[in-house]
Amino acid sequence: MARRAAVRTVQRRARGPVPQAKVPIRVKINGVEYSHEVEPRLLLVHYIRDVVGLTGTHIGCDTSNCGACTVLMKGTWGNEWRAVKSCTLYAVQADGAEIITIEGLAKNGELHPLQKAFWEHHALQCGYCTPGMILAALGFLKLNPNPTREEIRKGISGNLCRCTGYVNIVKAIEAAAKEIREKGSWI
Amino acid sequence: MTAQRAVGAPVARRDAFEKAVGAAKYASDLFLDDMLWVAVLRSKYPHARIRRIDTSKAESHPNVVAVFTHRDVPVNRYGLFKKDRPVLCDDKVRYIGDPIALVAAETREDALEALKLIEVDYEPLPPVTDPIEAMRPDAPKVHDDGNICREVHLRLGDVDGAFARADVIVENTYRTGAQIHAYLETEAGISYMEDGKIVVVAGGQSPYRDRAEIAHALNLPEEMIRVVTPYVGGAFGGKDDITVQIHLALVTWKTGRPARLVWSREESMMAGTKRHPAIIKIRTAATRDGTILANKIEIVLDKGAYTALGPAVLDVAVENCNGPYRVQASQIDAYLVYTNNMVASAFRGFGAPQVIFAIERQMDLLAKKLGMDPLELRLKNALRKGDRYVFGNVLEGSVGIAQCLEVARSHPLWRSRGRNSCEWPWLRRGVGVAAAMKGYTIGALPDKGVVALELLRDGRVLVKGSFTEIGQGVIQAVAQIAADLLGVSVDDVEVVFADTEVTPDTSVTSASRQLFLAGNAVREAVEALRERVAELEGRLSGRRPARVEFSGGWVFIDSERRYSLQELARLLESTGLGRQVLGVYEVPRVEPLPGTLEIPHLFYMFGVTLAEVLVNLLTGEVTVSKVVSIVDAGRVINPITFTGQVEGAVAQGIGFALMEDAKIRDGYLLTRDLSTYLIPSSKDVPEIEVIPVETEEAEGPFGAKGIGEIGIISVAPAILNAVADATGVEPNAIPLTHERLYWLLKEHGLVEQLRRAST
Repeated sequence: MARRAAVRTVQRRARGPVPQAKVPIRVKINGVEYSHEVEPRLLLVHYIRDVVGLTGTHIGCDTSNCGACTVLMKGTWGNEWRAVKSCTLYAVQADGAEIITIEGLAKNGELHPLQKAFWEHHALQCGYCTPGMILAALGFLKLNPNPTREEIRKGISGNLCRCTGYVNIVKAIEAAAKEIREKGSWI
Repeated sequence: MTAQRAVGAPVARRDAFEKAVGAAKYASDLFLDDMLWVAVLRSKYPHARIRRIDTSKAESHPNVVAVFTHRDVPVNRYGLFKKDRPVLCDDKVRYIGDPIALVAAETREDALEALKLIEVDYEPLPPVTDPIEAMRPDAPKVHDDGNICREVHLRLGDVDGAFARADVIVENTYRTGAQIHAYLETEAGISYMEDGKIVVVAGGQSPYRDRAEIAHALNLPEEMIRVVTPYVGGAFGGKDDITVQIHLALVTWKTGRPARLVWSREESMMAGTKRHPAIIKIRTAATRDGTILANKIEIVLDKGAYTALGPAVLDVAVENCNGPYRVQASQIDAYLVYTNNMVASAFRGFGAPQVIFAIERQMDLLAKKLGMDPLELRLKNALRKGDRYVFGNVLEGSVGIAQCLEVARSHPLWRSRGRNSCEWPWLRRGVGVAAAMKGYTIGALPDKGVVALELLRDGRVLVKGSFTEIGQGVIQAVAQIAADLLGVSVDDVEVVFADTEVTPDTSVTSASRQLFLAGNAVREAVEALRERVAELEGRLSGRRPARVEFSGGWVFIDSERRYSLQELARLLESTGLGRQVLGVYEVPRVEPLPGTLEIPHLFYMFGVTLAEVLVNLLTGEVTVSKVVSIVDAGRVINPITFTGQVEGAVAQGIGFALMEDAKIRDGYLLTRDLSTYLIPSSKDVPEIEVIPVETEEAEGPFGAKGIGEIGIISVAPAILNAVADATGVEPNAIPLTHERLYWLLKEHGLVEQLRRAST
């Protein structure tokens, strides 16, 4: 019996691709509700970029090493905001969740302290890693609002930058942390 | 006076704002309606004959629109120095990333699925993957005309006499690895038809050159193709050659539909270019007092499968292999050798990091043999302005190497050298120094840049040039230069870049020379505008003015009359003279030395790196704990951009020295992603101190000189010299991974010594 089943699978493969049933999902991104039917194999990062059209979230590696796709998310694992690499999830796993991407950080035309600090401290060159770096830093600052430079270096070590040598990134995060503490609101 | 207000000021970059809010669009961020997803079938073998390609199954896939092979390419060879690279392979594949077929499908998944349906019948051939082996006459041939792509043999001065007179002779062989660019944005682009033209929007470094390559391959006039380079997510030389451009243009030309092609990271690692791996043998003759008499140098660069920019890289290696020293005689034999490894081409430093690694390790070994301080040895031999370099060229540009070395000598880090012990017996501290040089501009090759300067109707200024923004900040720097020359605020200068339809050809963005070139072209454009104003005044008043000055948003004519720039724009338009002028700058050069392409340069960059390391004798782990980068910077246009560039270069240098180990076995790349090919993270890069030694480059815009590459060049030798200082072991190959150093330490009995001491 088992043998026959195996043969059947091979035959189906040979006829061409297996159409995947689409699954409905609802996700709130930057305060906006989206509902789409997506293939189960669709990665969250592709959903955010290709389907929703928020291309500030980038893809750098395909193996979850670079962190360019980092977003903030809550609702999938408990109700706390946390930074996640959106290439490590399927879109269907985000069903019912809330997400913040780089496009959702500025409020009423005012830059988030991290955005302002990255701009002013020259913490970016090509800028491709920047959105992920900022959101990873934000997730980290939520856990550790008053970090040392050494702790910042550890906190963002899951995100790669090839241009800056990290010196100004660390400075920017340090400056933003101070401003966030003074403001009393991290987001 | 508003003159020189923006130049020299640490102005936050305009593009950085867009990038920080996620609004900047890179090529990989562009999606078009009705767009085809393109995927590339790549060679499975490092060397094989193609017997047959069967695309019928892929073509019958329901969502596949077209499949392309070499039969669809009008002129199937491209390349800048030699047209030897197939757009899609026909007779043979020569490395594992070689492209064989393209699939254009309705979705990404369909395209990837269809790739698996293409059948290629290969006849595997024996690969040649060691450049020394490839030079043997009986080696398998990568190309029909043999494996030596290019060779240079120079005999400069009385080498034999120098060696006969020498008190000491030092000889060593050095090796460097195949560093991968690993920019965060992989090679990416889109294409579409517009007004009968093929438009390609892709990450690149030179839109005009890419356009010429596309036109050649498709056998179309250049005017039928428009190339746009948006913000690029890192390049470092890796996007200097064609990547996605011809494939995209082919798909859009044949199907009429928009297309998108973004390489996966694995594809980027395999099919993207690399830094040429090098084997360098140096024999140095010196006198007892540390005067270098001569170097005999043999350089072998592993070209990989195709020529790409290799010939120029070989020239840069040859030009800089004697280091920034007054060497009286040199014999240089250099070979660029084809293998079935991945293609090597431009990478920040362009041949200089390899040879400077070698000569700077050699300097430390010579110092050791002479019993001299390595910094004093360098200073004793350092080049000075006005010196005749080994090629007979007189160094008339700025030569700041001695100043850089003097700064290093008095730096606390250097003065702390010699304190090798740490609180734990298995940790050793070391400090190393290394110097660097590299010509910037493209040397004896002709090089001309054009920018357009348009006075807008509202009095603001628009600068247009084909320079590309690859993260280096050229747009901001150009705006700062234009602002100061025209006496306006930097916010009143708009910059449009890198579009063959709207920007004139500012030549290629490479060789640390785009600011130099574009900045000088802007200066020429301002002169042209001054001339235009004089002509206008001649028409209006019948008398040509003697002086035209721009200041504070006004143009002053013979201190008699002034117009606001807005009024000037209106007058230029109404008189038909036009609001746009061109600035043309041709880089001064000399005729190349016989047998070379671009030696010598007229302009050189110099720098010195100090590195402090901690070596764990039990594991071979090297921690770089401090780096000081001292750069002969000319005049710094934007200090924060400048230090940022140098810091980034240092980080790449740390990777080159210790971490970035592209494992290639029999032509197969084993490290195909960022989890196996490690680039420095925030935990691997220490605090970096950047010290500009501001000299004056008389020819540069506001005295500025190129700085993009210099920061990386002496990092690896400084780190290895520090490791040698810490341990007494002399490693001469990079990357010096934990494992390699561990075995070296063991070989030298250090591990055993430690074990004995602890029992």
